[in-house]
Amino acid sequence: MLDQRIIQAYKQAPWRVQLQWIGALLLVLVVGMLISGVYLYLSAEATAAGTHIRELELEREDLQIRIADLSTQLAFLRSAAFMQGRAETLGYKNASQRDIVYIPVPGYTGRQVVFLAPPPGNDPRDASIIKPSYKESLWEWLYQGTFDLIESRGLKP
Amino acid sequence: MNSTNSRLRFVGVIFIIIGLAIIFQIVRVQNSPQAKEMISFLEKNYNQEIRVIKPERGNIYDRWGNLLAGNTEVYEVGIAPPQVINSDTIAQDLSSILGLDFTQIKKIARSYVEEGNQQYMVVADFVSADKVHLLENKLAEYEKAAKPKKGAAPSLNGVHWVAHLRRSYPENALAANILGFYNFYDRVDGRGILGLEEQYNNLLAGTATRVVLPMNPTAIQEIPSVPPGSSLILTIDRGIQAAVERIAQKAQEDNGAESVTILVMDPETGEMLAMATTPAFNPNEYQKYGEVFPQGSHYNRAISQLYEPGSVFKVLTMAAALDSGAVTPETTFVDTGAIEVGGLWIYNWDRGAWGPQDMTGCMQHSLNVCLAWTATEMGPTTFYTYIQNFGLGKYTGIDLAGEQVYPLSLPGDQNWYPINLGTNAFGQGVAATPVQMITAIAAVANDGRMMAPHIVKAYIQDGHQYDISPRLIRQVIKPETARAMTEMLANSLENEASVALVEGYRVSGKTGTAEIPGPRGYESSVTNASFVGWGPSDDPKFIVYIWLEKPTSSPWGSVVAAPVFSEVVSELTVLMKLPPDSIRQQMAQP
Repeated sequence: MLDQRIIQAYKQAPWRVQLQWIGALLLVLVVGMLISGVYLYLSAEATAAGTHIRELELEREDLQIRIADLSTQLAFLRSAAFMQGRAETLGYKNASQRDIVYIPVPGYTGRQVVFLAPPPGNDPRDASIIKPSYKESLWEWLYQGTFDLIESRGLKP
Repeated sequence: MNSTNSRLRFVGVIFIIIGLAIIFQIVRVQNSPQAKEMISFLEKNYNQEIRVIKPERGNIYDRWGNLLAGNTEVYEVGIAPPQVINSDTIAQDLSSILGLDFTQIKKIARSYVEEGNQQYMVVADFVSADKVHLLENKLAEYEKAAKPKKGAAPSLNGVHWVAHLRRSYPENALAANILGFYNFYDRVDGRGILGLEEQYNNLLAGTATRVVLPMNPTAIQEIPSVPPGSSLILTIDRGIQAAVERIAQKAQEDNGAESVTILVMDPETGEMLAMATTPAFNPNEYQKYGEVFPQGSHYNRAISQLYEPGSVFKVLTMAAALDSGAVTPETTFVDTGAIEVGGLWIYNWDRGAWGPQDMTGCMQHSLNVCLAWTATEMGPTTFYTYIQNFGLGKYTGIDLAGEQVYPLSLPGDQNWYPINLGTNAFGQGVAATPVQMITAIAAVANDGRMMAPHIVKAYIQDGHQYDISPRLIRQVIKPETARAMTEMLANSLENEASVALVEGYRVSGKTGTAEIPGPRGYESSVTNASFVGWGPSDDPKFIVYIWLEKPTSSPWGSVVAAPVFSEVVSELTVLMKLPPDSIRQQMAQP
């Protein structure tokens, strides 16, 4: 009888137990929602970045086509026949042997053949233009972050 | 109360069983073989895109960086029938701007509504950027326009245009015989045809790369940067090429020739500075190839048309005779107008007897009898050894597709007769291409060193420029022989006051007139007129080879080809900035 009284005296009221359960459930729910929220946010960010990269890649392709086209258009405008026509329109005529005066210029070796690109040599090249942070998962980010933190503190992982 | 509880428990159990059954079914369906197959199918078809990235075809530049072959932007225009809102607008605009058939376009635009066609259909390709800009303007106009109260609003919805590159030749017909062409209208199997486009097709085309791109934007994968095809930098000088082509065209018209070929080479390196042949051809309109080059005609006569060169060949015979010691420039030959070789008689071009002549006189008057005699003095073994060393009967190896060669008949061959020694000595009974002839004779202009003729000076690959070094084929004759020969040919031009001479510059050269062999022997009515010359004689910087095929104004090389040489050299000295000899010699003095 006494035992029962003692137990009853120290026993939580049923409503308090229920509240504790509800609280615990709500805590789990809130933590779950927070994690989901973070995951959703990062996924959305990654998706937006991915879409943007795709757009930029398409833009790059368009620009490459445009650059090639503009180079060719420029070449059309500088073609031998076109330039000859323009020069004649402006009143110029082709130089003959009699029109040319030769002056010795010490050290001048004459016109050199064009160099459109550097000669072969050792030059560092970027393997990829997308930063690794755009490709890593949340887990990889956490793992790498923890690893970097430990390393920066001089601790053994 | 108990009864209520038990009922509730029963209902609860039923719901739990149903719930579990649903979960079980979900797991079972998702893991069934059919589901796996479907997932795999969807992943393959919708979750990733397989793209074959064709690199941009490499450019071709002249030696100064002027673009000779590049790429231009064109568009493919298509219709996606399910996206079409207003088929009338599409038919109207595509027919007016692109010149397509109104009825046909309308039928395609309405094909989803009428037949359920969902397939994207290409309606035009290689549409210029200007026309696509007009379509873009229309699109912008319709987007801004107010919606009509009745009927569908004007719209180009469902019409798509995608840019791609098309091979383009900004200089049009200039150097077309060197460049060849790319059959760009074949977007699948397009390839370089003839000339450099064929010779360097693999290098220019680059390597197509196949990539699998995930459609899921979170699974980012970088599209690999496919390097463009290699670009070529030629030895050709655009200015010289343009001038030489203009002169060739004029020479053909003035002389009523079937064709004219002019080659300009740097004898020291073997670099071709210009290579002009007629007729002109615009590779931007390569579909007209058949009209310009009827069956049997040659795209680039300089490398692919064999002909009997005639008296220009005498340069090689005399060089061999001098080098072997069979004769010296002062050796006297008494020309009686005929010589018997191998039981047959050989006569001079005028059937005349020219009396005592030194070797310069023999070359100056182009005496067949004298040259046949020098060949017999050398003997067949020595003569043909030299001729073979000069590269006759062998490919020069010039880096252009389509080079032809005619085998040289040698003693012991079935088709060689003793008379050949006499006739071959003055360029009859041997066939060569102009590039073979200029390569061989360039050795005489370059102290006896025969350089490999080439068109490509450097190439650009993966962002680096790689130079191609000149290649020595062999030392054919001694330097002193080459200089003596150059002197003899300069004197012979001066002695006869040739129309090939150029004021202010000493040049060496030789004319050539060759009858053309036909089914009934040699026809004297039609000839091949040639001229080969180089200069300045004391330090040759250029060698020029001229060939007029079947000229009608005069059959003689000295009349039709020699003035063309003079005209070419007059332009060359300006374009190459070569000072007249007197100024150059003054400048060379300390």
